[in-house]
Amino acid sequence: MSVVISQSDAETGIVAAPGGALRLGFRQRGQVTELADLLQRAPLRALFPRSHEPEAPVAVIVNTGGGLVGGDRVDVHVHLEKGATALVTGQAAEKVYRSTGTPCRLSITLSVAAGAWLEWLPQETILFNGARLERTTTVAADPAARVMAGDILVFGRTARGEGLTHGRLRDAWDVRVDGWLMFADALELDEDLAALLADPACLDGAVAAATLLYVAPDADRHLARARRLMHPHLGAGLRGGATVVGGILLMRWLGRDAMMLRQSFGLVWAAFRSQVGGREAALPRLWSV
Amino acid sequence: MDEANLCRLMTWLSSSFPVGAYSYSHGIEAAVEEGLVRDRGSLERWIGAILRRGAGRLDAVFLAAAWQAVRAGDAGRLTQVAERAAAFRGTAELALESTAQGRAFLDAVDSAWPDLRLRALAEPLRVVAIPPVHPVAVAMATAAAGMPVRLVVPAYLQAFAANLVSAGVRLIPLGQTDGLKALAALEPVIQGVAETTREGTMDDVGTATLMVDWSSICHETQHVRLFRS
Repeated sequence: MSVVISQSDAETGIVAAPGGALRLGFRQRGQVTELADLLQRAPLRALFPRSHEPEAPVAVIVNTGGGLVGGDRVDVHVHLEKGATALVTGQAAEKVYRSTGTPCRLSITLSVAAGAWLEWLPQETILFNGARLERTTTVAADPAARVMAGDILVFGRTARGEGLTHGRLRDAWDVRVDGWLMFADALELDEDLAALLADPACLDGAVAAATLLYVAPDADRHLARARRLMHPHLGAGLRGGATVVGGILLMRWLGRDAMMLRQSFGLVWAAFRSQVGGREAALPRLWSV
Repeated sequence: MDEANLCRLMTWLSSSFPVGAYSYSHGIEAAVEEGLVRDRGSLERWIGAILRRGAGRLDAVFLAAAWQAVRAGDAGRLTQVAERAAAFRGTAELALESTAQGRAFLDAVDSAWPDLRLRALAEPLRVVAIPPVHPVAVAMATAAAGMPVRLVVPAYLQAFAANLVSAGVRLIPLGQTDGLKALAALEPVIQGVAETTREGTMDDVGTATLMVDWSSICHETQHVRLFRS
């Protein structure tokens, strides 16, 4: 029985190779940022809906496969040249289905040149029970670049009352500024997931977690603002806070209600991009909170 | 390890070694304030998770990796480990806790046990402004002195755990005997973590202690506080 399962997994891995890929490059021309590079490999595609802010494009990543399974390998590379402004988001929540052994691997690289402003705002990633996901997000920023990068993880199909009992997650961040590693983090959940999600020192009953990083030369000056923006949403069901590590502003949420967490994350994002980046205090329509 | 090195390792990792360990609670001060840590059982469980799934495992891996790099004479590798170990801190105060103790540790060792080899190890890190965090500093000194990683890692974890137990005893508060019972209960956890981290494989290090990070973030804005972390 177990032999049959691992064979089918191996097959999935072979079928999925070389895996989905998306490369997006933006450059600044005059007052407007334009697409300079686009490579799409199924099941990934990018759409470019009309933006509220015509000078700054929005790219929407679409996974036409409708989710990720064991053995999938996906690479996303976003590059902003000097002075460019762009927001990259996802069309829908990313679902990671149960895997019997092989993990799916996501590698995301965000490279941002001097004077550029990038927002990396994926929609939430939903881990089905038994999902195995390894995701690495690498930010490579010029010292004069500004990057808002975040993600939301939902542990189980919580709307259906499904929690996680098994599977594996490794969600790693590496933030490099001028080549130096300024912040590294990896959430590692494996073995008895139900116990980790319940452990008071680990998730303490949270079913969703979110991270928002702001990498910029003046990031540490916005700590008080980040605390102020988050504060009204926090309470018994939603914990969170902000801190500065390695000169990078870090906002974190842990929630017992995934929708409530998503809403706070979106509202804080919209306010922060407006107050700090001078952008509109709104998110792409897809992201309505 | 010979008797001289055993005595020296005990001194370097003793609670009276001047790194200011007593002033760091790793967020336990806020966890007590929030009612997450309130008695011996919850303290034991909290510290057990930090050892197995948090900074304990992380520091053990970085210590072992840095120790291997020094023993291999690989300065580039040591810089790489030190850079990642310093960057892998979830909050401002957890970074302060490890960076300040690392610096104090190397200063104290250098003043009482001056060793040209250790100074030569520290110099390239100073040049690129990478602060050796506590486990990396301990790795540098113990590897230079020829102490075996098999003993250094569990000794480091024991000192780390004992310091957190002591913070809990003062904050909850608990009696000394309860603190000792907690430490006794954590012994097998320390051994388990030490055994699985000795190789110093950094590729898959990670943590699950998000509530410890959250407590540390809360501590930054806690009104009345005795501890620096």
